[in-house]
Amino acid sequence: MVLDTLKRITSGPKPILLLFILLLSSLYMMSAATQNSVVFSRLYSLLLAINILALLLLLALIARQIISVISRYRERAPGSRLTVRLVIMFVILAVTPISVLYYFSLQFLHRGIDSWFDLRVEQALEDALELGRTSLDSRLRELLRQSRLQVESLAMESDSTARLKIHAMRESSEAVELTLLGLNGRVITSSSIDPSTIIPTLPNNAILLQLRRGLEYAALEPIRDRGLHMRIVMLVPNPDPLGEPRLLHALYAVPERLNTLANSVQEAFTRYKELAYLRQPLKYSFTLTLSLVLLLSLLTAVWAAFFSARRLAAPISDLAEGTRAVAAGDYTMRLSMPGRDELGFLVRSFNEMTRKIARARDEASKSQRHAEEQRGYLEAVLSCLSSGVLTLDDTATLRTVNSAAEQILGLEIGPNPELSLAVMQARYPQLEPLVETIANQLDHNHGTWQAEVVLFGPNGRQVLICRGSPLRGGGSAQGEHVIVFDDVTALIQAQRDAAWGEVARRLAHEIKNPLTPIQLSAERLRHKYLNTMPSADAEVLDRSTHTIVQQVESMKKMVKAFSDYAHTPKLQLESVDLARLLNEVLDLYHGDERIIVHLHIHPPLPPIEADVGRLRQLLHNLIKNTLEAGDGLAPLTLDVSVNPAEKESYRFIEMRFEDNGPGIPESFMGQLFEPYITSKPKGSGLGLAIVKKIVEEHSGILWAENRETGGACITLRLPVQSKAADQSADVDDADITIPTSERL
Amino acid sequence: MGFSTHALKKATAITEQASHAFHGSRRLLLVLGLLLALPLHAGEFAITGVETRLQDNVYLLDAHVDYRFSDDALDALQNGVPLTLRLSIEIQRERNWWYDATVATLEQRFRLQFHPLSHQYLLQNLNSGAFYAFQSLYAALDAMGTLHDFPLVDSQLIKEDERYEVQLQAALDIESLPSPLRPLAYITPSWRLNSDWYTWYLTP
Repeated sequence: MVLDTLKRITSGPKPILLLFILLLSSLYMMSAATQNSVVFSRLYSLLLAINILALLLLLALIARQIISVISRYRERAPGSRLTVRLVIMFVILAVTPISVLYYFSLQFLHRGIDSWFDLRVEQALEDALELGRTSLDSRLRELLRQSRLQVESLAMESDSTARLKIHAMRESSEAVELTLLGLNGRVITSSSIDPSTIIPTLPNNAILLQLRRGLEYAALEPIRDRGLHMRIVMLVPNPDPLGEPRLLHALYAVPERLNTLANSVQEAFTRYKELAYLRQPLKYSFTLTLSLVLLLSLLTAVWAAFFSARRLAAPISDLAEGTRAVAAGDYTMRLSMPGRDELGFLVRSFNEMTRKIARARDEASKSQRHAEEQRGYLEAVLSCLSSGVLTLDDTATLRTVNSAAEQILGLEIGPNPELSLAVMQARYPQLEPLVETIANQLDHNHGTWQAEVVLFGPNGRQVLICRGSPLRGGGSAQGEHVIVFDDVTALIQAQRDAAWGEVARRLAHEIKNPLTPIQLSAERLRHKYLNTMPSADAEVLDRSTHTIVQQVESMKKMVKAFSDYAHTPKLQLESVDLARLLNEVLDLYHGDERIIVHLHIHPPLPPIEADVGRLRQLLHNLIKNTLEAGDGLAPLTLDVSVNPAEKESYRFIEMRFEDNGPGIPESFMGQLFEPYITSKPKGSGLGLAIVKKIVEEHSGILWAENRETGGACITLRLPVQSKAADQSADVDDADITIPTSERL
Repeated sequence: MGFSTHALKKATAITEQASHAFHGSRRLLLVLGLLLALPLHAGEFAITGVETRLQDNVYLLDAHVDYRFSDDALDALQNGVPLTLRLSIEIQRERNWWYDATVATLEQRFRLQFHPLSHQYLLQNLNSGAFYAFQSLYAALDAMGTLHDFPLVDSQLIKEDERYEVQLQAALDIESLPSPLRPLAYITPSWRLNSDWYTWYLTP
C-alpha cells in the first residue's frame, strides 16, 4: 500500500520536475554562497550535502529506470527495443552539448579566476600598506620619544603624587589614555580623555611579560570600535629604592584621516590576500558547483529521456500487444488514446478495426449458428422419417444417409459417409441391386424416377420402393440427387397373402359347399338305381357315380389344400438344428424305391430361428414336387447340399436341391412359384407356391434354375439371425402375417 | 573573564591517541587505525591541566588547551583568513542502565585573525565580545588556550549523591571558514583540527 503510494508519487513527471526546481534553486544558493553572499554562506555545507543527496536520489531513480528497461528488453516486451533506442538517442543528444558546454565553462571559469589576480596589483597593495606602516611608524617613534620624557619626569614621583602628574601629562600630550601600573598590572592611577571611561584599556599579559624582562613596548594596535591606536608601555623607575618599578601605559589615537586611509588599505590588502589564498579552493568550489549543475542537467536529461521514450513507446507497445491479441482471436481489446497526434489516429483506427472485426465475427458466428440450427432441424426431421433417405452429389458420392436408411440397408456408416457408389458396392455386395438401379437411373433418367429393388442381405429378402429426384432444377445428369426408399417387403407380402387368402376363402366357400350335395346325390343315385338297373346300365351307373364321388373327393382335397395355403398359422419360431431336421425328413424317403436322396452337409451349421413344422412342410413339398415332376423316370436322384455361407456383413444357410429329372420348362421359369402353375400331370400347383411362401415368411430367398447336366436345381437361402435385434425384426415380420391368416 | 599570567603548563601528554596501540594482527584494523591516526599527525590540539573546584557555589574550571595548527591552517591565517575555534563542554549525570542525562552544555568560541598593518594577531572571544591583540601568534594561542576560573556550573544543579562526568573538546570550526574552503577542509586531514574529548568526573 505504502509502496504503491510511493511508487505512484515517484513515477510521474511532477516529482522529478519539483526535484529539478529544488535542485536548481539550491544550486543557485550554493553559487551565491561561493561568491561570499552572507545569507547563503552559512548554508553552504548544508546546500552541498542536500545537492549531493538529491543527485544520488536522481541517480537511484535513473538506475531503477535502467533496470526496468533492461529487464523489459530481456523479456522482449513489446516496445522495449524502441524504448532503448529512443533512450540512447536522447541521452546522446543531451550529453554531447552539455559536455561541450561544461568543458568550455570550466576553461572560462579558471581563466576568469586567474585574471582577477595581478602581481602588480599585489605589489601596489603591499607598497601602500608599507607606506601606511612607515608613516605610522614615524609617528610612533615621535610618541615614544615623548613618552620617554614623561617617564623621566615621573621617575621622581611617588605613587600618590604621580596621580596629578599623570593627569597633567595626559592633558598636555595627545594621549587618549595615560595609566600608571604596577608590574603585576595593578592600576596605580589613570587618566582618560573620555571622562566616562572608568576602567582603562590595559596591556595584556604578553606585554607585561615583555616589560618585566626590561624591554619597552610600542606598537600599533587596532582597538575594537575605536580604530587604530598606538600603545606604548614603558618601565617607570620607583623613587623608593626598595619599591618595584612601575609601568607607564599610554594610548594614542591615530588621526582620523590617517586611520580611515590605513584601514582602507588594510581592508583591501587583507581581502586581496585572502582571495589570492583562496584562489585554488575557489576554483575547486566553482568547479564543484558547475559539476553539480552539469550532473543535475545531465541526470535530469537522462531521466527525461527515459520518461519521454516510455511515453513515445507506450502507444506503440500497446498497438503491438493489441495486434497480438487480435491475431490470437481476442477482438475485445480497446487501447487507451495517447492523444490527438498521428499515434492517436493510429490507435483510434486500430480500435475501430477491432470493433468492426468483432462485429463481423459475431455476425458470422450468428449466421453459422443459424445454419447449424437449420441443419440440425433437417437432420432431426430426416432421422424421424421412416423412409430411408440418401443424397448423392454430382460425382455419385454418398453424402447423406439418414438413420432409417441405415436401418433398412443394415449399414453403419454414419450420417456423412462420403462414399462413392462404386466403393459402396464393393464394400456392401448385398446392396448391388440397389446400387445398380441407382447408377442406371442416374445415367439414363434425368427426372424423377421410381423403381422396385429386391435385396437379400442381413435382414433377409427385402423389397424396396425407391424414388429418386435431382436436387437442383434443370435436370442435369451431374447434379445432386436425393433418393427416398421404403422397405415394402412386409407390405407386398401382406398384399399377396391377402389376395391368395381371398381366393382360397372364395374357393372354399363357392366350391366346397356344393361338393357334399353332389357327392351325396351321386351316392343316392347309385344306391337307388344300381340294383334295379340292367347289368349293362348298372355298370355304367356304377362307374359314373364312382367317378363323381372320386372326383368330388379329389376336389375336396384341392379345396382343403387351398384352405391350408390361405390359412397360415402364426410362425412358431425356435432355434432349429437344420441338419437334424433334414436327416429326420429325408429318412422317411429312405426306403422309397422311386427316389434316392443324397444329403451333403458342410458342418458346422449354425442354428437358425425357424418354425419346425413349416420347414418340414417345405422339405416335403420340395421332395414331392421332385417326385411328381420326375414321375415315371427311375431311378430319380436328389442331391441335397447344405452350406453355411457368409457375406460381408450377414450370414445365411444355402440349401441346394438338385435332381436329375426333366428340368423346368422355359415357359414356366418366370412364374414357377406362383399358385396354379404346374407342368406336372398330377399336382395342385400349390406346392412350390407354399415353399416360396414359407421361405419368404422366414425372410429367405429362393430361385430355380436348370442344371447344365440336366435336371432342375432349386436354391434357397435362409438367414442366420445372430442378433437379438434381428430376431425381434423377424418377429415383427411374422406379426404382419397375423391379420392375413386371421382373414382366412 | 580574564586572562592572567597563568603558568604555561607545557603539555607533555600530547598523544593519548598514541597510547592506542594497534596490537591487532589483522591488517584491516591496522589500516583503519592508520586512517584514524592520520589527522592527528598533521596538527592536533591537546588538553592538559584540567582542574575543577567549588567556589562561592559555582564550579570553576582551570584548563589549558595546546593549540597546534597545521601548516595549512597557519598559512591561511597568515593570508588573512580568520580561524574560529570552538571549546565545547558537556556536563552529564550518569544513569544506570540508560544514557547519561545532559545537565549543561557550554560552548566558547574564539576568532583568531592576523592584522597585516600592525603585524598583530587579533583574538576575539565571540561569546563575550572581548577583543585582544598580540604581537606573536604564540602569545595569542597561549592566551586563547588558557582557561582560568571559568565558571562551569551552578552547584544547585549538582546533586551530591550523583556522579557527574564533564567532557571538554577544542576544535576548529570548519563551518566558519570561507565557503570555498569548506568542502576542501572537510575532506583534508590537515584541516580537521580537534582534540579528543577530555573526560573527568566533577569533584568539589
